[in-house]
Amino acid sequence: MLTTILRRIGLSLLILFLVSVLVFLSTEVLPGDALDVFLTADDLVTMEPEQIEALRRDFGLDKPAIWRFFQWLSGAVVGDFGVTFIDETPVSEVIWEPLLNSLLLGLVITIIAVPVALAIGSTTGYYRGRKPDAVVSSLAIIGYSIPDFVIGTLLIIFFAVWIPLFPALILVFADASVWELLKVSIMPAVTVIIGHVAHLSRLLRAGFIEAMNCEFIERARLSGVPEKRIVFRHALPAAVIPSLNSVALFIAGLLNGLIVIEKVFGYPGLGLQLIEAVDKREVHVVQAITFLGAVLVIGMNLLADLSIIILDPRVRSHKNE
Amino acid sequence: MSKKSIISVLTHSPGTTIGVALVAIHLLSALLGPLFIPYGPTELAGPSLLAPGSSGHALGTDVIGRDYLTRLVIGGRTSIFVAMLGALSAVVIGGLIGVSAAYIGGFYDDAIMRIVDTKLSIPGVLFVALCVVGFGRSIPVLTIVIAVNYMPGALRIIRSQALTQVPLDYVKSARLRGESKLAVIIRELCPNVLEVVVVEFALRTSSAILAVSALSFLGLGISPPTPDWGLMVYEGIRQIYIAPWLVLLPAFFISTLVIGLNFATDGLANALGLDAARGLY
Amino acid sequence: MGWPMPWALTPPGAFTERFMSLLNLKKLTVGYVNPSGELIPAVNDVSFHLKKGETLGIVGESGCGKSTLARAILGYCRPGSLIMGGEVLFDGEDILQMSLSQLRDLRGQRIAMVPQNPLSSLTYHMKVGPQVDEILRIHRGMDSKAARIHTLELFAGTNLPDPEQIYDRYPHEISGGQRQRVVIAGALACQPVLMVLDEPTTALDTTTEIQVLKLVKDLRKENDMALIYITHDLTLTDYMCENVLVMLDGKVVEQGRVANIFKHPQTDYTKMLIAAIPRVDSKSGADAFLPAAGVPQPLLEVDRLKFRYGQRRSLATIFKPQEEPPAVNNVSFDLEHGETIGLVGESGSGKSTIANIICGLLTPTTGSIIFDSQPINTPAEKRSLDLRRRIQIIFQDPLSSLNPRHRIETVLTRPLKIFFGFKGQAARDRAVELLEAMELLPEHLSRFPRQLSGGQQQRVAIACAFAAKPDLILCDEVTSALDVSVQAHVLELLKVIQEKTGVACVFISHDLGVVKQVANKVIVLQKGVVAEAGPTEDVFAKPTHNYTRLLLAAALRENHDPIHDYLDSSV
Repeated sequence: MLTTILRRIGLSLLILFLVSVLVFLSTEVLPGDALDVFLTADDLVTMEPEQIEALRRDFGLDKPAIWRFFQWLSGAVVGDFGVTFIDETPVSEVIWEPLLNSLLLGLVITIIAVPVALAIGSTTGYYRGRKPDAVVSSLAIIGYSIPDFVIGTLLIIFFAVWIPLFPALILVFADASVWELLKVSIMPAVTVIIGHVAHLSRLLRAGFIEAMNCEFIERARLSGVPEKRIVFRHALPAAVIPSLNSVALFIAGLLNGLIVIEKVFGYPGLGLQLIEAVDKREVHVVQAITFLGAVLVIGMNLLADLSIIILDPRVRSHKNE
Repeated sequence: MSKKSIISVLTHSPGTTIGVALVAIHLLSALLGPLFIPYGPTELAGPSLLAPGSSGHALGTDVIGRDYLTRLVIGGRTSIFVAMLGALSAVVIGGLIGVSAAYIGGFYDDAIMRIVDTKLSIPGVLFVALCVVGFGRSIPVLTIVIAVNYMPGALRIIRSQALTQVPLDYVKSARLRGESKLAVIIRELCPNVLEVVVVEFALRTSSAILAVSALSFLGLGISPPTPDWGLMVYEGIRQIYIAPWLVLLPAFFISTLVIGLNFATDGLANALGLDAARGLY
Repeated sequence: MGWPMPWALTPPGAFTERFMSLLNLKKLTVGYVNPSGELIPAVNDVSFHLKKGETLGIVGESGCGKSTLARAILGYCRPGSLIMGGEVLFDGEDILQMSLSQLRDLRGQRIAMVPQNPLSSLTYHMKVGPQVDEILRIHRGMDSKAARIHTLELFAGTNLPDPEQIYDRYPHEISGGQRQRVVIAGALACQPVLMVLDEPTTALDTTTEIQVLKLVKDLRKENDMALIYITHDLTLTDYMCENVLVMLDGKVVEQGRVANIFKHPQTDYTKMLIAAIPRVDSKSGADAFLPAAGVPQPLLEVDRLKFRYGQRRSLATIFKPQEEPPAVNNVSFDLEHGETIGLVGESGSGKSTIANIICGLLTPTTGSIIFDSQPINTPAEKRSLDLRRRIQIIFQDPLSSLNPRHRIETVLTRPLKIFFGFKGQAARDRAVELLEAMELLPEHLSRFPRQLSGGQQQRVAIACAFAAKPDLILCDEVTSALDVSVQAHVLELLKVIQEKTGVACVFISHDLGVVKQVANKVIVLQKGVVAEAGPTEDVFAKPTHNYTRLLLAAALRENHDPIHDYLDSSV
């Protein structure tokens, strides 16, 4: 088993490396370099070529690509992502607080969403085909079909415009305290939860149904084992393994949701930061955020796979892959 | 598949029928809409912020004075086109590569799967952000970006299905007949992954529509003045207090299309015996 | 139990029936909903009764409803099916009217079931011991310590080696025979008065099968249980039970004592079932082959063939190279034009591997194969078109040998096109000829495989192989997945077409009775090594190797001493 675990970790590191290559390459394939992307047409007119060249040397953009890649990568693994173009602030400073804020929001969402989706998923899976399942499943489909930003905007209309309960726009800054952040995170959290819980509960439902259809469930029934024990002791552990993959998928999807929702509500997180950076063409910031996002996704997938390796007895005693 | 079985699949359950109907309405309006609209989509047709129900403008006008009904009917065309074409390319190209990876195996398969894993580690919106920063926001670029975004996911799922077929005896027989690798992939394997491909296409299209509207909303997708529902929601937010319909109407249109698509896909997958609840990202 | 009715009003025999019967089925009908929404009876109007301690075998081919019947006896129907009518009286009470809690009491305690596949019927994420404990704790209220002790006793009672170790293992970590014994132990845990076994040995090897059957027989006697044994194999019924019930399409076709049924079958179907059983000790069968005069060389010469599956090189094996035994170890034989050689052995004996090597799906590690004076150590991709045409293989599972998306016409015309260049109408005509040789109809050309029965699919596969006009045909367990009645028909057709075309055949099977019918000479394989070889009649009548004797005895379902020695040394 140790070899399998090590192999899996090695694979994650390989993927991370490839992601960083991809992220770095995305700016290399363009004609010109990161600085050219950043400079607007105006700048090109007003600045002297020597000034532009000097800036280029400043940022180290005249060095060969491979050198720059490894320099970037070695910085990235310790959190140093270079500096912004506009005022040479270290990127890590720029993204630190928004990162924490997004993590907070994400944590709030996950803590609420996963248990709720688990409960809904297993209950609808157990009562599959009957009325409650049909109704809840339809609601779930509607839930994840409506775009996040629509739900967010609708919530704003209902709870900020018509019933002035919450502020429509969050005017909190990135360095606000945890308490303030929590207060303003309610609406964004609810928005994301509605759509993503709906989807996750469908995935978990499918996993649960698969578990309940196993032959050993029939044998347990035929041996007189009570239903409750069958569900909790026999079926649920069998449903955990496909569920772990679903949860990893859910967290990856959260990243997408957060970006949109932070823009809708103005929550001072990494997603908002990303959009601003794209707007201002701060390539280093975009690279850094993308890299971190990938780290999170790769990490989640790794955790899920490792849990499966450790928990599934069939994988555990497999000598060769 | 015979006509009768297609119809029975499409009317599999009340949910499916409603879904199919919604999709059909949207597709028809996207295709034939331009023939029936009263004004041009960017034409300044009347006073600004007229409420729906006003004369001459059944669904009102927006902030600049463009007829909203026209914009709404046209607004879906671009996203639907980009989403469908992107999803189709993703599924067809991804599917072919996936089946070939399943059959050929070895280093080729390993390499492809590493690339797939790499792309899947980057959340979709981030990936598009990178591409938009680099390549701009034109329609061809958007379509290609959508295709590339969904290709790895589709590839992985179609490859899984192909893997169940590769060890079967009819594939061995084809090998023994001396069929070339390409012949085996296209003649033997592809027909047996078709069901998965169709469901994947439907799923990716609905994800793509959501993605395109979200992108337009964020300012990374379709650029004004082309009308697009996501963009229209964004533009309408500033007038939320006085003209909520500017946000509600396009939101309704996007939602009904995706809801219809998802209900139809769910029914389709159930009828085919497949599990529709898979990752949408 | 209700009060007995006054004697005068009781129909003759009913008193005895009611009080002596343990299990009494009356007109039981169980239906399932098919995709079109109609209710189809899977068990149709079935009635029988069973006394305490009696044994009953329920025999039928696939789809006759026996599994559904087995589960209905415990009051259970699979999702999608429902009980449409009838009574299942157990000790006087109707099981079908019981409440869920009554059923839970009954199942596992008074009636126990042993299902078919122990790998999928044991919970994979639980250790094996606790799964038996569970039954004891639920029905007998034991605590975990007491249950464990009891379970270990049960394991010892089912001849499991080292019960303490097995207790802590997961289902996939023990062998098939051991798994089934665990399930049997669980079934016996509460000393039920009735045990229902649903094809419990179908997934097991012949030698393991005989061990498990003997075990069940002994345990039944010890515990004085009534037994219902469900199988598709009439000879097993003969070995296990006193009474038999023959089912076809959900209905009871014949029932009575086993000895009577075998001697005087009443219905045509039963007669057909009995006649179709290929017996190892039958008088008929293929004789020794005489090579045609004037042909100097054998068609196929296999010399010291050896094959080892590729080793995964990992950090672990670099320092301690694991010596896995070769799948095929030093096998040699010759085959003349037109001759049939049988390769027999259990799973893991290497017989399929040999076929795969001959046709080119695998390459031998060492050794040589010479076909018509040409060495063919190469994989299929590197062989000439002509060579590929001359060696054809037919696989076991008809479902997977035909592409589900290709019509039969496409399946048959493809080899015609590739090997002979037939096109259009000429190809279609030839395809029809091939179909008719296999007693299929021209209209089958436009069908898809799923629209044909298993036997028909396999006939198409055979037709496809012969379409190439081969010199050598490899039959890899081609009848093992078919019902007994269909099997006989397919073998007949195969024989006829082989005689007509003079094709040589390598016939692989684990079923010695079938091999006896078709093979001129036979090779007995044990774990990749040739145990014995020679003309079929000689080898089967006077086996010289212990393993051959073992296989023959198992096939004849006899109690032979070699079996007991074998039992103690393995599993």
